[in-house]
Amino acid sequence: MTTLTAPAPAPRAHLTRWLLRLHRPTLYVWAGLVLAAAVLLLLLRGPLADAAADAWRQYDSCTDWRRCTYDQNAILRYKDWYSYATLAVAAVPFLTAAWAGGAFGKELESGTAKLAWTQSSTPVRWLAVRLAVPAAAVAAGTALLVWLHHLAWATANDRIDTAKQWYDVWTFHTNGPTLPALALCGLAAGALTGLLSRRTLPALGLGLLLTGAVWTATQLLLPRLWPTRTSTGKAFFALPNSSWTVRTGKHAEVPYGDYHPASHYWPLQLTTTALLLAVTALLTLGCFLALRRLTGKTTAG
Amino acid sequence: MTDTAIAASALGKRFGRRGGWALRDCAFRLPAGRVCAVVGPNGAGKSTLLALAAGLLGATEGELTVLGTTPAKARPRVGYVAQDKPLYPQLTVAETLRMGADLNPGRWDAAAAERIVAAGDLDPKSRIRTLSGGQRTRVALALALGKQPELLLLDEPMADLDPLARHELMGVLMVQAAQHGTTIAMSSHVVAELEDSCDHLLLIGGGRVRLAGEIDDLLAAHTRVAAEAGTDLAPHTVVDSRTTGRQLSALVRPAGPLPAGWHTGAPTLEELVLAHLRNPEAPALTAVEATV
Amino acid sequence: MVEYRIDRRSGVATYVQIVQQTKQALRLGHLRPGDRLPTAREVVEATAINPNTVLKAYRELEREGLVEARRGLGTFVKRSLGTAPAAESPLHGELDDWAARARAAGLDRDDVAALFTAVLEKHFAVHEKHLQGESS
Repeated sequence: MTTLTAPAPAPRAHLTRWLLRLHRPTLYVWAGLVLAAAVLLLLLRGPLADAAADAWRQYDSCTDWRRCTYDQNAILRYKDWYSYATLAVAAVPFLTAAWAGGAFGKELESGTAKLAWTQSSTPVRWLAVRLAVPAAAVAAGTALLVWLHHLAWATANDRIDTAKQWYDVWTFHTNGPTLPALALCGLAAGALTGLLSRRTLPALGLGLLLTGAVWTATQLLLPRLWPTRTSTGKAFFALPNSSWTVRTGKHAEVPYGDYHPASHYWPLQLTTTALLLAVTALLTLGCFLALRRLTGKTTAG
Repeated sequence: MTDTAIAASALGKRFGRRGGWALRDCAFRLPAGRVCAVVGPNGAGKSTLLALAAGLLGATEGELTVLGTTPAKARPRVGYVAQDKPLYPQLTVAETLRMGADLNPGRWDAAAAERIVAAGDLDPKSRIRTLSGGQRTRVALALALGKQPELLLLDEPMADLDPLARHELMGVLMVQAAQHGTTIAMSSHVVAELEDSCDHLLLIGGGRVRLAGEIDDLLAAHTRVAAEAGTDLAPHTVVDSRTTGRQLSALVRPAGPLPAGWHTGAPTLEELVLAHLRNPEAPALTAVEATV
Repeated sequence: MVEYRIDRRSGVATYVQIVQQTKQALRLGHLRPGDRLPTAREVVEATAINPNTVLKAYRELEREGLVEARRGLGTFVKRSLGTAPAAESPLHGELDDWAARARAAGLDRDDVAALFTAVLEKHFAVHEKHLQGESS
């Protein structure tokens, strides 16, 4: 998704400037969203996590239950806000898909795409800029958010008993590069449905659906993207909490489990990211093919 | 600079693999410097033809040359205004023109674009979404003309405009043609709307080119005749004929001198167009040789 | 300066209207030798007619020796037309007599108009046809 810019005749048309101008409100909303989520994540990592950790320490050191005092609110506050932050970050790919579907659908529905295609630069370059610029903004914003989310999560690990494990569905994605990859995928999916349906609302809905489908498929494939380890008998029951058990069964009356240890976090993140980027590349190719179908073979050049 | 603005041969466009042909077997040539009326009923294929020439659609078959090259390569030299005059509603008039400058580097004539807008009493600071139909058309034209196109394609430019706005904008276009020799092709389903402004005609009916050529030549190639009912009109090509009582009235393309007994007259452009649209089976006339 | 008014319903070719209106202005003295005719740009801006139509009319006037084009400057009146008022000519008297006789014979206004048009077409159709058929 990074090197999409087509060669352009000199002097160069300022497509990027006008894309930013046309979508200025969206850009402000996006910046505001990233800022708000970043502040929340920093609060989670700092004061909120500290307060919750203190409360857990008090709770854990309790001996006399009738006289035990601990700040239950701090624990609940941390838990709630952590969930909100995770959901907010996890929603980004879907918001991106809806926006892209709406934006592309609207340009084609209202005919402003034709206006753009009859200026001096080619439709191919129009599409390239329209994918590359939002891709940069979305990738930068989500990368910042998942980094902050990872920090917030890591600081709670071992200190807060209710902290999510690394393999929790939403935490897994909001902690690493899979989320920016899914956001880029959402952008390409929205663009494709916009170019195909050529109408605002259907494109928005279909973009969301397509992204949801990709996400679901990824979710199903995720445990299989790196070889699991198998543990049997007592060793299986002695596995630490940080092991992600993906399959259990009995073999000759002996229970066993296939699992991913915590050390599989990065291999799983990277293979999932690669898979999502491959899907993104296919969707992007689909966008250019759809554009060619719309404007004829001779648009390149 | 080529002397041909648009040339088509065996041009066809079909939407979808199983869809019907919007345009088929089109062959014509529009010389540079002409103001061409693209006329035909609604759905005849006028918009498709203009979109093909603007590089917005790919042809299914045949060839289309614009300004001596492919429509895609001619893009920087071609101006196009779609029927619904799409503009970005959130931009102001001034911003729209600045966008035109940015998207057409090296070609933009800011003074010309601003003059067209200013002549319409438009406040440059007003948003596009607040403009009336005539004002929108004016801005869309300013955007297309600011590009200093060698060929200007206008799809139903005058639809939805009041007579005053129509007259003013047609004046703007004619000034462009007079000053820069810009080739203009504009479509309409109302012939009378374009009659005085155009010197070239492209009549499209049922996805095919029915008439193509200089309006004067096309008119000169046809004669309105009135004769006794039952008169054999051969060997002249009959475009349209009707018998009312004892009289036969027809529009013919004379193959030679007409008999003295026939009453003859020159047809108007509207008569010529209607006669061809009423009779889809009448042979097309797309390359008028020196006639009369 | 002359201002052209194009009547779309007159049935007279647009460029013929420009030729006629120029001649009328020459006859009435509104245009005199040395005066500049409006440029094609000025005419088309006001009338929205095709610029080639204006140029065609000017060429016709030039062919008749009434105006001359000076490169880069414009088109100028070369000579004026006789200003003898049509009302004083003997032709006017004859037509006047004829109209009176038609009325006495019981013809109404439309009958006279039909007759006159038929005769007019018989005598002037050739000239008109020549003008219309001429291509640039």
